[in-house]
Amino acid sequence: MKQNNKAIILDIQRMSTEDGPGIRTTVFFKGCSLACAWCHNPESILFTQAFEWYQNRCIGCRTCMENCKYSAISFTKDGLKVDRQICTLCGVCTKKCPTMAIEIKGKEMDIEALITIIMKDRAYYVKSGGGVTLSGGEALLQSKFVLALLEELNRKGVHVAIDTAGHVSSNVLTQALDLADLILYDLKIMDREMHKKYTGKNNDLILQNACMVANYIRQNKRPNLWIRTPIIPLATDHCNNIAAIGNFIHKNMAGIVDRWELCTFNNLCKDKYARLDLLWNYSNCDLMTMEQMDKLADCARQSCEEPNIVLWTGSTKLNDKN
Amino acid sequence: MRKLSESVKTRKNISNRIQFLIDYYFKGVNRNWSNPFTPFTTDTEWDVIYDETSNYIVPEKYEILDKFKTSFRLSAYPIALPDQFWEKSLVERRSWFIKEAIVNYMPQEILPGDLIAGARFNMMASRCFNEEEACRRNYVVYGPEGVRNREMEFHYRGFGNCTTASGHLIPNHQEVIEKGFKHIYEDLNTKYNLLTEEEKKGQKGNQLRAMINSSTMPRDLAEKYSKLCLEFAQEEEDKDRKNELIQMSTNLKRVPWEGAETFWEAVQSLWFTHMLIMTDENYPGPGVSFGRLDQYLYPYWKKSVNEGMSEEFGKEILKCFWMHCNTAYDATIYEGNNQGISASFGQLLSISGIGRNGIDLSNDLTYAILDVIDDMNPILEPKPSVRLHRNSPDKLLDKVVDMLASSQGAPFLINFDERSMAGLLRQARMANIEHLITPENVYDYASVGCMENTMVGNDRSGTVDNNVYLSKAIELTLGNGNELVLYENKLTHQSFSEELDSPKTGDPNSFKSFEDFYKAFEKQICYIIRRNYELYDALDTHRATFCPTPYLSCLVKGCAEQGKDITQGGAQIRMTTVEGVQFASTVDSLLAVKYLVYDEKLCTMDELIKALKSNWRGFDILHAQAKYRAPKYGRDDDEADAMAEKVMALWSSEVWKYKTTTTNVQFRPGMLSWNYWITTGYFMPALPDGRRQGEYFSNAICPVDGTDTEGPTANVNSVGKALGGRKNGVGDFEDYINYLPNGSSHTMTLSPALLRDKNHKEKFKAFLRGYVENGGTALQINMLDVDMLKDAQKNPENYRNLLVRVTGYNAYFASIGKELQDEIIARESHSRF
Repeated sequence: MKQNNKAIILDIQRMSTEDGPGIRTTVFFKGCSLACAWCHNPESILFTQAFEWYQNRCIGCRTCMENCKYSAISFTKDGLKVDRQICTLCGVCTKKCPTMAIEIKGKEMDIEALITIIMKDRAYYVKSGGGVTLSGGEALLQSKFVLALLEELNRKGVHVAIDTAGHVSSNVLTQALDLADLILYDLKIMDREMHKKYTGKNNDLILQNACMVANYIRQNKRPNLWIRTPIIPLATDHCNNIAAIGNFIHKNMAGIVDRWELCTFNNLCKDKYARLDLLWNYSNCDLMTMEQMDKLADCARQSCEEPNIVLWTGSTKLNDKN
Repeated sequence: MRKLSESVKTRKNISNRIQFLIDYYFKGVNRNWSNPFTPFTTDTEWDVIYDETSNYIVPEKYEILDKFKTSFRLSAYPIALPDQFWEKSLVERRSWFIKEAIVNYMPQEILPGDLIAGARFNMMASRCFNEEEACRRNYVVYGPEGVRNREMEFHYRGFGNCTTASGHLIPNHQEVIEKGFKHIYEDLNTKYNLLTEEEKKGQKGNQLRAMINSSTMPRDLAEKYSKLCLEFAQEEEDKDRKNELIQMSTNLKRVPWEGAETFWEAVQSLWFTHMLIMTDENYPGPGVSFGRLDQYLYPYWKKSVNEGMSEEFGKEILKCFWMHCNTAYDATIYEGNNQGISASFGQLLSISGIGRNGIDLSNDLTYAILDVIDDMNPILEPKPSVRLHRNSPDKLLDKVVDMLASSQGAPFLINFDERSMAGLLRQARMANIEHLITPENVYDYASVGCMENTMVGNDRSGTVDNNVYLSKAIELTLGNGNELVLYENKLTHQSFSEELDSPKTGDPNSFKSFEDFYKAFEKQICYIIRRNYELYDALDTHRATFCPTPYLSCLVKGCAEQGKDITQGGAQIRMTTVEGVQFASTVDSLLAVKYLVYDEKLCTMDELIKALKSNWRGFDILHAQAKYRAPKYGRDDDEADAMAEKVMALWSSEVWKYKTTTTNVQFRPGMLSWNYWITTGYFMPALPDGRRQGEYFSNAICPVDGTDTEGPTANVNSVGKALGGRKNGVGDFEDYINYLPNGSSHTMTLSPALLRDKNHKEKFKAFLRGYVENGGTALQINMLDVDMLKDAQKNPENYRNLLVRVTGYNAYFASIGKELQDEIIARESHSRF
């Protein structure tokens, strides 16, 4: 009915085991206020939909090309090419493609449809202490929808985690704190200028919001808080940065962070960039080594002075090679 | 680079004793002696030794049936028959003959260090027919309208296969362990003496006399083994071993004739009782299962531990028992052990599980058995099944998940109590045996073979007797009762050109709606199930007339009471199971017809049929639409899953309508597919869901490979819904519904990353607890990674110990065919295609 009752959803991942406690359904909202150079979900940055072609599914039947009113699709020796200037994202090709090799990323969904999918795995949430994680992009940018969704999930007794980069309106964030069970809060880079260089925005609002979240939790004894730091080669992966984040946590959030997770860089999103005709600076970047991660985790433990909250996750070079 | 094979699970905590037994076993044919089928004959010119009718569910054997038939006869040892042998009834002849062969002809052997006696039990004994019986029987089997010809047509024409399978039951082990065969012997005598003189001369008298004789077979054989132990003890120089042999000799003087008093005796009694069933049936271990091992052995375990037996020694006894179970595979050791020929063993044991009032029954022995499984893995037999339910303790799940994480194929099957019990209570209702399966005793169920649920000690469940290829009904619907391809008898290379007596359900081009199509499909499902019934009924009459198993009849309640052999319907609960094969392929085909022809109108019915007849060649776009765009079962899509439930309700309720004419055995539904979903893929035509001829069908209750794109929880939820889901007020156990009392085999192959650390193991425990709520009855989990498998395919020599499980049975990856290897690799990941 009203526009704010729908959201642009990028993807829904069931039996997610990496975004909060227990078994979860992670809902990826489209659109982000940052544009991190290493972003693992490049298709999530813009609010607008995006055309993607999956080469491994395509049988080259040209059905898409024949049905495109705008002649936006052509085939070269490298396969399908879309002229993104001409393409109106009308979606005819995705509906006609017999192998579902074309996807328009980002789908409008209403709360009811989303709740139906979420509730299918209720049994697993209950048994695992899991629930739903609202991620993105930046879920809180679609605030009216998200707040309404949070209310509905509260009514149904489903545990909700919000994964945020913190670059959102403080007012919205406060309202979300009232309704969420867990906040997954990203602290990426402490240096203001470096932050701007790598994410497009400085970190004033993010740090200000982090303090606000901390105060809120201190007063209300809830929700739970996990800090997450992506470990990205050259951008975030040096001890100075980690120590600065640790000092910030110690100074502003002491005693209220349940977990500080250092998330190892991975390059699995390489093909996503290719599908979007985007270049990615990290395409040829190696994975971190286990030694590097252990060292950074030590930095983190020393600086935040709460060694038990620190852990690192993800695959490292050593694991992969062997 | 690290050798990949190092990541394969290895055995641990193996003593020198057990290591010797394992090493010796794996010497295979180079052992001094093993346990191959040893044939014995009455030495008459008409003697029949090999009974192929219990082998028809192994189509790979069809080509060598005659070889078996002839070679066993030619190589058989004659046994001197007593006077008046031929004047006795068939069942008495057979009872005498088998006992004579195993006690007085078959050598008794004991391996160094072994704590359990009882080897050399695989036997092909004369069926003991007189000339007239042999003639009559041969006509029933080999005559022009005989069961062999009918079976060949049934299978090679894509309807299914059926057999009167051996085993597949759980005998009353508890009674034998507690009271011994003496008690059975005395009970039989009492019953015999109560017969009238007339009855004594008749069938009942014959049967009871045969059973009385058979009940002394374990006593006489144990006596021989007891003496052998003593002989070995006298020659033994090692003092500890000498004492062990003396103790074994003492054990065998008591059991299995009398009740066991120690754990060692109880296991010895169990092995002897079990082994002789395989002797009696002339078939090694096809689902002759042990039931709730940790429950009925527990009193003995506790007593012996209290009296000073170390837990380690208790486990050592069990490990010897484990090795004995593996010797069943020796049956065709000289013919070569390969899938489809002799991998069809399933000596299954159940541990843990629910008791009355929802109480969990895990005990110290449960955990000791889990240790033994863990230590011995990888090993093929026995097949453990861990029963989980809502109140399973964390301690148990921790162990289960740790073991899953450390081995490639799960070292056990996981059975789920709530859904399983719902099925058995439904069975009680459908078969009018509510006095035999009640809410008070349903907890005592256990699984046989691969994963088939039955009651214990009184139930011939006949699991895997019948395997119906459900997609045949799709083909016949599309062909107005005719076939889309010309089938051929692979033995004679003759085509089946005769028209079928199938219902002519109408030219599909004339169907106005999908509902019309479905109505025709319903009629064809009824037709294929009726055809299955007719063939099985003939086989069942054959077995009831010609193939008594009097020893086995001693171990199943109802036979003595009725004075009937178990093959004649003597058991209290008499079932034969129809296993639905190609389920998801059939459901997806219906969904595809609806989507392609009626909903989206992407093709006409005529075009679809043309596409199928050409095996989709020249129809690439339509093929892709069928395969990728049409809805599928397995994605937790309520509409698609509703179709699955509708088809499940349809075929399963049709099955309940039949009973055999001779033995009054009730047909009941179940779902496992053994390897038929692979082998039938080669000769059955393309299907509307996009499957081409030459590709596999779906396995058991699993979605078609690669279609479960929404992840493991969605896959599980779909399976639960197909079985009937949970519906307030209409469930059979709480609100659980289960159309398939025999159970449904569900295999999932998951990435090891899901179990990589403690945190993830906790999540996986919760996944299993979620399965209790939402899923099916039996889950087989394989933890594999693709690279390892591909390497194993290329370098099998490095992976001889890599064990995988398929539909509930174990196989060494290197020993299975390339098709199945490819299949397992393809299933590795739940990511999209």
